[in-house]
Amino acid sequence: MDIISQLQEQVNTIAALAFNTFGTLQRDAPPVRLSPNYPEPPPANPTEDAANVAEQPKQMSAAFVKAAKQFDALVAALPLSDGGEEAQLKRIAELQAENDAVGQELQKQLEAAEKELKQVQELFNQATDNCLNLKKPE
Amino acid sequence: MSTATYPPPPPYYRLYKDYLQDPNSTPEPPPPIDGTYLLFGSNYTTDDVLPSLEDQGVRQLYPKGPNVDFKKELRALNRELQLHILELADVLVERPSQYARRVEEISLIFKNLHHLLNSLRPHQARATLIHILELQIQRRKQAIEDIKRRREEAQKLLKEALGTLEGQ
Repeated sequence: MDIISQLQEQVNTIAALAFNTFGTLQRDAPPVRLSPNYPEPPPANPTEDAANVAEQPKQMSAAFVKAAKQFDALVAALPLSDGGEEAQLKRIAELQAENDAVGQELQKQLEAAEKELKQVQELFNQATDNCLNLKKPE
Repeated sequence: MSTATYPPPPPYYRLYKDYLQDPNSTPEPPPPIDGTYLLFGSNYTTDDVLPSLEDQGVRQLYPKGPNVDFKKELRALNRELQLHILELADVLVERPSQYARRVEEISLIFKNLHHLLNSLRPHQARATLIHILELQIQRRKQAIEDIKRRREEAQKLLKEALGTLEGQ
């Protein structure tokens, strides 16, 4: 995949990681006490391991930071030797001129070679006719 | 313009009745369209240019100008994005009801990022064209060299044959 498509994919990956992080954390967070008037929240079910709840933010944020660093690396790899649009257009015009000149040279060589081929074929025909002493049928 | 769910085929087929006998009696195909055209009820333009962010009603975060330093702006936007995500995490902890503004700012940064990347595409297209032209010039030069070499070989063979024949 070319570098720009990779960059676009990386941006989408960062977005996906971000909203997955927030979504998961919001869904799995244990309930918290809002005000001293309300009673304590009911104890969390044993399905939520305390280790799990503490590990997930670390892993997810590590993945997010890694994706962001990857994006920076891709940006650094951009082959943007920028002379701007005009420099590129000038180079294209130069290349087109050179291409035309080389194309004409090629055409000339090709024609000369075809001419020589025809000559050789003609001479070869005559030589074989002489050798075999072919007479035209009357 | 009339619309129908299952429109009949266009009636031009009658004009091509004698195509097998006389291909020139039939009308030419229509020329390519210029400007805007109507397709399935919506307008399309033949001028394919990337609409600027203001046209889509999105604020542009990176400086406008003739030459944008893409690498610098992309890196700056990336840092902004990370800062905003941290801010969102903070807001969710302290004042959870104010998430909307932060989420909007994050989506604004993403739109700017994608717009910057899209505006790199014409540059990529020109670079591809340059590469193709260079390859073509190289191939043509190679072909010229090949033809020259073959001609010289043929000349040499003919001279040798002539020499052999005269020697007989």
